[in-house]
Amino acid sequence: MPAVASVSSVHGEVFQTLLDEKAPSWSSNPDFVVAWTRPEGVLQAFGDLLSCSRVSDQDLNREVDSYAAALLRASKRTKAMFVPTWVIPPFHQTQGLLDLAASGGAARALMRINVRLLESLAGTPTIYPLWADKWIQLGGPAAFNYRLWYLGKIPFSNEVFKAAARDIKAALRGLNGQAKKIVLLDLDDVLWSGIVGDAGWEGLTLGGHDPAGEALVDFQRELKALTRRGILLAIVSKNEESVAMEAIAKHPEMVLKLDDFAGWRINWRDKAENIHALMNELNLGLDSAVFIDDSAVERARVRETLPGLFVPEWPSDKRLYPQALLSLDCFDRPWITEEDRQRSRMSAVDRERKQSKIDLGNLEEWLATLNTSVRVEELNQANLPRAAQLLNKTNQMNLSTRRMSEAEFQAWLREKTRRAWTFRVSDRFGDSGLTGILTIEIDGLRATIIDFVLSCRVMGRKIEEAMLHVGINWARSAGVQEVYANYHQTGKNKPCYDFFEKSGLACRDGNIFVWDAAQAYPLPPAIHLVHDNGGTFAKKSAEENQSKLLASL
Amino acid sequence: MKATREELLDIIYQCLDGLNEQLANGDQIQKSMETPLVGGRGGLDSLGLVNFVALVEEECARKYGIAVSLTDPSPQEDDRFANVGKFVDFLFQRLNNNPL
Repeated sequence: MPAVASVSSVHGEVFQTLLDEKAPSWSSNPDFVVAWTRPEGVLQAFGDLLSCSRVSDQDLNREVDSYAAALLRASKRTKAMFVPTWVIPPFHQTQGLLDLAASGGAARALMRINVRLLESLAGTPTIYPLWADKWIQLGGPAAFNYRLWYLGKIPFSNEVFKAAARDIKAALRGLNGQAKKIVLLDLDDVLWSGIVGDAGWEGLTLGGHDPAGEALVDFQRELKALTRRGILLAIVSKNEESVAMEAIAKHPEMVLKLDDFAGWRINWRDKAENIHALMNELNLGLDSAVFIDDSAVERARVRETLPGLFVPEWPSDKRLYPQALLSLDCFDRPWITEEDRQRSRMSAVDRERKQSKIDLGNLEEWLATLNTSVRVEELNQANLPRAAQLLNKTNQMNLSTRRMSEAEFQAWLREKTRRAWTFRVSDRFGDSGLTGILTIEIDGLRATIIDFVLSCRVMGRKIEEAMLHVGINWARSAGVQEVYANYHQTGKNKPCYDFFEKSGLACRDGNIFVWDAAQAYPLPPAIHLVHDNGGTFAKKSAEENQSKLLASL
Repeated sequence: MKATREELLDIIYQCLDGLNEQLANGDQIQKSMETPLVGGRGGLDSLGLVNFVALVEEECARKYGIAVSLTDPSPQEDDRFANVGKFVDFLFQRLNNNPL
């Protein structure tokens, strides 16, 4: 949970605060800003409209645009700016048929100014709009608190602020790469009602004209929706595997199919032990998982044994399962990429790939059969969102664990001596998408690898060596004598250290690895490298870099 | 229905619990009769005090059906927010002897 210390701005000085970079609110260089205003407080025309005065659309639009411009300007001073949508108290919406009138309808105008503001802010990578209507609904009938307003100009009740704080905390977790990545599910009385080992799949309650059965189908639909947001699903269940598999495959009301699961442990062993093994297999940290089980005993056992794992309390009434899942805000992320949408399918492919690895035994031979292709691209506008996402959420194969927004990443690359590449990996089983990032900085005769990031989905398949080949050979062609990689230890990036230790780079002082640039770094034979310009990547880069270096002298 | 001092202290502690939920660990308000509500060490800031007063007013309205304003000026100088004990006394007087 991020620790947050807040700085308040002066009441009523919205524009002054947003526009004046010397305003007291900015003196502490806030990591994030919440710009939550009352529409009548920042838009004179909207205040007039609430007083039933005649207001032109043009005046209202102009004021919204001015406010949006002030937000855009202020957003450059912080890593993230959250902008809750505008809401108004219900007593302003009591004109009945006129609330939504084209001319003078307050509710209609509110919708319009919210949409106009959202459209004006769209595309700014550091601005994240938040839906305040949800907080008002959660605040109930007393969401707008007039005692607080007249005592201290606080418009909302504490319940509203608590709901807002929950969403902002979830957003910060998402921005910091702490969103949960996988849901581990029990089967009996979780995905269906009944004990499959006793009743057989034909005897399970799922779907049909049964309140619990219908709710469980909806629960599975919501889980399926999570997979489209890039969240993985897996099964941890005490059952006979063949019996459980038969139920998943044959029950006609199952929304989730076997391909929706990244992995499973279905046996009679301890669930904590199974979870540990499964997370290792999937190369995921325990703190990236949520465990859902109907048994309070199993929940307590897992909570106690694996304290990093999130085990939410779970209702005994199956009709409340969809709501319980939807109320979890631990999956919130600031964006969804195409890789996210495909992750579930890619994990199924990965499982197939690993099965093939088990069949073949010898790693080198197996790698040679994969026909692995690594496509190298310079960082550009098209791949920046996915690259920033990967940079901010990758923990294990991460040399420095730097976290940067898209804007910060772009700003960092403005120095002529810095370069960044992305790596897309595909093989005969499928496309894993953009899964690697390498950045290098040159200082005189020394190059330093700053970021070395690889998704756990493709770790251990010689992609790491291919990335070093690209980076080191570019640095050699730029005339450097040594290439450094400085390992910054975190609680999670031991796999990165393990790789560098056996990478062929000489280890100095424990955490510093060095390559003598007189030697080329070999490309693993199992890897086919494709450059974004179709071939002469290293040559092109060297020429560009040499000219950049010359220009910077 | 006459409010007792014990009931009023319970209401005050309940409202402090509500406030403490929103404060960082080191900033939470101690629940004791001597705890200052404003000023001094451990007191509430201005927004915290406003929140606290509104919570107590709402709880009194809910429990006793009395709409009471706890920030109205008093004819005499008073130190109602000096500490929890003084605020209990003030609330007791306001609810039982001088209801609005």
